[in-house]
Amino acid sequence: MNNKIISLIAITGIALLLTACGPSVKRIDATGNEGLVTVDGVDFKDWQIAAEKGVNSLLESGVLSRADGRKTILMISTVKNSTSQHINTRILTDKIRQAVLRSGKALTTTAVGGNGPDDTASKQVRRLEEDDMFNQSTVQKRGTAIAPDMSLSGEIVQQQRSQGRMRESYFFFHMALTDLTTGLALWEENVEIVKQGKKPLMGW
Amino acid sequence: MKKIYIISISCLLLIACQATVNTVENEQKTIQVDAVDMAKVSTDVFLKNRLEISGVNKKELADGLLKVQVTVRNVRTGFWDQVSSWYMGDNPYQIAYRFTWLDIDGMEVTTAANTWIPMTVVPGDTVRLQAISPNPRCKDFTLSIRENDRARRF
Repeated sequence: MNNKIISLIAITGIALLLTACGPSVKRIDATGNEGLVTVDGVDFKDWQIAAEKGVNSLLESGVLSRADGRKTILMISTVKNSTSQHINTRILTDKIRQAVLRSGKALTTTAVGGNGPDDTASKQVRRLEEDDMFNQSTVQKRGTAIAPDMSLSGEIVQQQRSQGRMRESYFFFHMALTDLTTGLALWEENVEIVKQGKKPLMGW
Repeated sequence: MKKIYIISISCLLLIACQATVNTVENEQKTIQVDAVDMAKVSTDVFLKNRLEISGVNKKELADGLLKVQVTVRNVRTGFWDQVSSWYMGDNPYQIAYRFTWLDIDGMEVTTAANTWIPMTVVPGDTVRLQAISPNPRCKDFTLSIRENDRARRF
């Protein structure tokens, strides 16, 4: 009888242990500080910090406001990735672009971009003038799209260092706004993020 | 017994030698600040004992946007505060802050970039948390500050 009880307790215990070893997955607040922090990579929090500081600086600069009252048209140029990681810099440019749009100080164009247009539709719809299926009076005419006044560009640079078991990554986010008429940079901002981590004694 | 006392006192003195920030500033101020009433500042006991909110200023920019600045100082500079900070692992103190913007009707204005920003505040140091309103419709703001547990020493 005792053996049966011991076996039952053992089986229950093992079952509980196996249950506890299951994957622990949860959703976290995307604006909070609970995300994973890696030394070598650009984590989602790093993008958010870089974007928020960049946006604050850009809006404070006042360079988007024009003397003639017309809204500035902004295009997104390229953000060069000079890090050791494969990263999509669109996370940064999209946040800045949306913040600029919501500020009401400028409009952004999707018809032209550093890596080609974000939306190819502006060009596609103008080809419909050769298609007799469409009422030609409703087809967008050539020469109506508005060209950008300014472009947003940047570069993300990473410098890695290690000393003993300690590793360090320095990320340098550079952002610039260029007046396309003159080619002059009207605004520039750098956001610096440094992360440190200690390698474990065993493993990687 | 005497040795234990000497060792203990030495340890405490070493702990007390942790870096704090010492500041010097001009006494005759020329700045003209538009101070904001801080009637609604509320902090928990832990934050209150560590950070002192000494001022909230605002400035309307030329294009109608609002710039706000909240000045906070880490007041854990005394001997026992230093010992306690060392024991609690909050020297330097790790905080995270976030600004929330409200329009004239009190509705929250969602922004494309609105996140908790981590910051380190060394004892004795004064830091200024700044933000620019996302658009001219924003008339009020709320600043949230919390301890950044993820960045604590232990």
